[in-house]
Amino acid sequence: MTDFDACAARALDTASARGAVYADIRFEEDRSERIEVRNGAVATLSDGTSAGYGIRALFDGAWGFAASADTSDAGIDRAAARAVDIARAGAAIATRRFGQAPTDRYVDTYATPFERDAASVPLGERVALLLEAERALHAAPTIRVGRAWIDLWHTRKTFYSTTGSRIEQMLRQSGSGMSALAASEGDAQDRSYPGDIGLYQAGGWEIVEAARLRENAQRIGEEAAALLTAPQCPSGEFDVILGGSQVSLQIHESCGHAAELDRIMGWEANFSGTSFLDPAQLGTLRYGSDIVTIVIDNTMPGGFATVGYDDEGAKSGHSDIIRNGLLVGFEMSRDTARTLGRETNACVRAQSWEHVPMIRMCNLNLLPGDAPFEALFDGVENGIYMESNRSWSIDDHRLNFQFGCQIGWEIKNGKRGRMVKNPTYAGVTPQFWNSCDAIADERSWVAWGTPNCGKGEPMQTGRTAQAASPARFRNVRVGVGYDG
Amino acid sequence: MDSLAREALADRVLSFARGAEAEVIVTDGDFGLTRFTHNAIHQNIASADTAVRVRTIVDGRTGVAATNALDETSLRDVVGRARAMGALAPADHDAPGLVANAAVATPDGAFDEATANASPAERARIVADITRLAEERGLWAAGYVTSERSGITIANTAGTRVSYDGTSCGLNVKANGPDSTGFAEYYSTRFADLDGIAAGTIAVEKTLASKAPVAVEPGDWTVVIEPAAFGELLSYLTGHFSAQAYDEGSSFLSDGLDRAYAGEAVTISDDFAHPLLAGQPFDYEGYPTRRLHLLDRGVAHELLTDSAWAKRLHRTNTGHGLPAPSAHGPMARHVVVAGGTHGTHDLIANVKRGLLVTRFWYIRPVDHRKTIVTGMTRDGTFLIENGEIVGGVRNMRFNQSILEALRSATFSKEIARTGGYSYSSVVPTARIENFRFSSGTDF
Repeated sequence: MTDFDACAARALDTASARGAVYADIRFEEDRSERIEVRNGAVATLSDGTSAGYGIRALFDGAWGFAASADTSDAGIDRAAARAVDIARAGAAIATRRFGQAPTDRYVDTYATPFERDAASVPLGERVALLLEAERALHAAPTIRVGRAWIDLWHTRKTFYSTTGSRIEQMLRQSGSGMSALAASEGDAQDRSYPGDIGLYQAGGWEIVEAARLRENAQRIGEEAAALLTAPQCPSGEFDVILGGSQVSLQIHESCGHAAELDRIMGWEANFSGTSFLDPAQLGTLRYGSDIVTIVIDNTMPGGFATVGYDDEGAKSGHSDIIRNGLLVGFEMSRDTARTLGRETNACVRAQSWEHVPMIRMCNLNLLPGDAPFEALFDGVENGIYMESNRSWSIDDHRLNFQFGCQIGWEIKNGKRGRMVKNPTYAGVTPQFWNSCDAIADERSWVAWGTPNCGKGEPMQTGRTAQAASPARFRNVRVGVGYDG
Repeated sequence: MDSLAREALADRVLSFARGAEAEVIVTDGDFGLTRFTHNAIHQNIASADTAVRVRTIVDGRTGVAATNALDETSLRDVVGRARAMGALAPADHDAPGLVANAAVATPDGAFDEATANASPAERARIVADITRLAEERGLWAAGYVTSERSGITIANTAGTRVSYDGTSCGLNVKANGPDSTGFAEYYSTRFADLDGIAAGTIAVEKTLASKAPVAVEPGDWTVVIEPAAFGELLSYLTGHFSAQAYDEGSSFLSDGLDRAYAGEAVTISDDFAHPLLAGQPFDYEGYPTRRLHLLDRGVAHELLTDSAWAKRLHRTNTGHGLPAPSAHGPMARHVVVAGGTHGTHDLIANVKRGLLVTRFWYIRPVDHRKTIVTGMTRDGTFLIENGEIVGGVRNMRFNQSILEALRSATFSKEIARTGGYSYSSVVPTARIENFRFSSGTDF
């Protein structure tokens, strides 16, 4: 058993002795389990563990980061020295200084609340759940592939810094989902549930049970098969109602990434891109309509990104990004927040011990409206209701987007009509959010987790969440990509 | 950890798996990356790790477990966890079993000692070359310089023991002006090949040449697509060559093999031994990877298989498996597009009115089966008139079937290695007719 206190003391002493003005070390022990059933067979049954640590060192305004799994004294010394050497190499050519030493100190613990430890559920029971759900997906002969899966993560993180912080966290995240692929001559149609990638939240086995895979499998299979013969979604300008998981993706792509302050400052310019946002727009940019309020809540029970502290040792909390349609905040780290004269809102995460912490979208929620879901259809004379993402693309300023959904239904005179396939829609971020005129209430509000958010170089996969309920948007361009 | 040490580690793990068929994958690597923006380094990292993945098969029941703890207790534990997983898994008596007695040869040029030992100071010197160029022209640069050593050993109880050691490095740079950007990249197995001045110059010149971009109308355009853009576009086609996608109906190849799907100029291969790639000569089951044509002068004859899909479809194993068992099926890992006969300048010279694309961004499938994708241009899009580049244009969104694009494609004789986070390929510059842009932007 590794003595983290002793290893941390050694690492931080070594970094300081070699000239670091600040250093921190983050130990992680990650355990991940995945079960995937495909066409009646267990296609994946894996149980992985990975443990190690990452050291950040600040020297003359430049950061260095070194990660290793070697917890021997020599290994700790080597990694700490490497982090400082890397920082020195950056400082040697620096014409600007991005880094400044933090001063805050936390000694605390945090554990994800959960109802049932997933480890207490026998593996045979987990596999049986997936086999049963997957079997029910085959509701028609045209279903060529059925898939069902469970992901479980359990992470122990311990963070130490030269300011005296010691933060221990025990994090649990769980998710499950299923999909059916129907294929016929020249066409293939996917349906998945819940949402497009499943239901992913912080917690234990109760998250898997909440997905209700068995109860929905046959309907999902039937919908996939029906899509093969459904008419093509019409093209033109329509009022659009988006299902909750698609609104979640819309928040993620056109608000969450746009409001990352590192991106705004050009730190992601060569890869993930920049942003159309500018700090000068704070308090003045009309991002959306009055009913659009989007907030960070990294303490939300069940939120996929809920933690006690972020990966640079800052305490989780609440802050606003868009308040009643007005841009009021960004997702920030300590270094980036300082440039605006603000405090960090603890949005820094690393994929694992071997990844450098960076600004990530965490729990970014669109607050629910006050209308029942069914009321969104009232007043729509000619529209499309779309569910579950199929395709997503947005430019590197986060303005021009085009998304596709797995399934749609025409709306005529306030009523849901026939099913249509291949629904797509496109727009420009602020115009689109300003066209939002109704958001369903808290009864259909779900904390949708995203387990596969890509950002950074080397690419890091982040786990984010965007709680949302279905919403209505007026005069949207529909059918792009299929319009001849 | 060299190959001998990895093989010794693999043997030790296998010794704990008595009574089971077992496979061990040992991976070891040391990775460094220096990232910069606004002409200064803002992320500077190094990461080293060794990991062990164990697959056990007992009475048709497969279990998998992984760890990066290498002490005896942890190694025994990871075997035990794999067996425990397998004991509770349903039996699959059709599973193909382990690859027996495979032997492979690593391609020349895969490993370069100087690259394996490249220091953060060496990476910083290249960054300094790039940022100096940008500053001299009133621009700011963002990008990275990376160097990496990686090794893999796969051993199993059926007698297979294969190893590969490789190095890779790369740089990319985006130069930024008030209203324009430009991009260049370079990838190699040898750090000495990285030339920050050459790449920085290209990125800076593209930025300056595309300043004050004008809007052009969406619609069908003749496009000349440089390797960074073409490689990314092509990465959304290669999944179709999987036997799994073919059999399950999600691939365009599900319409049938031995048909022409692209023009005669199009030959796409999977070739780990290409000198610009010098990649891993076996798949993640330890089976030797076969060099093959995915499209041979436009015609598809082959499917990529692993041991499971080879058995299921009664085809030969081409050695394109991911760690088994895999829900994703076989995959191309070293895509190479054959160059044409004309120089890149010739592709542009007879374009009456068209666009030159440096780089694409956020390509995603719109209709996978029909190979329709959407995405954006970025970092250097230019108007071509009467064979000359006349200036920058604002970025545009496209919606395009890749197969349709390949029906008219012609290629430059120059080829380059390109790559993203999920692919590495060797491609030429491509000229394509009637490439469909659906909307524009204000930048």
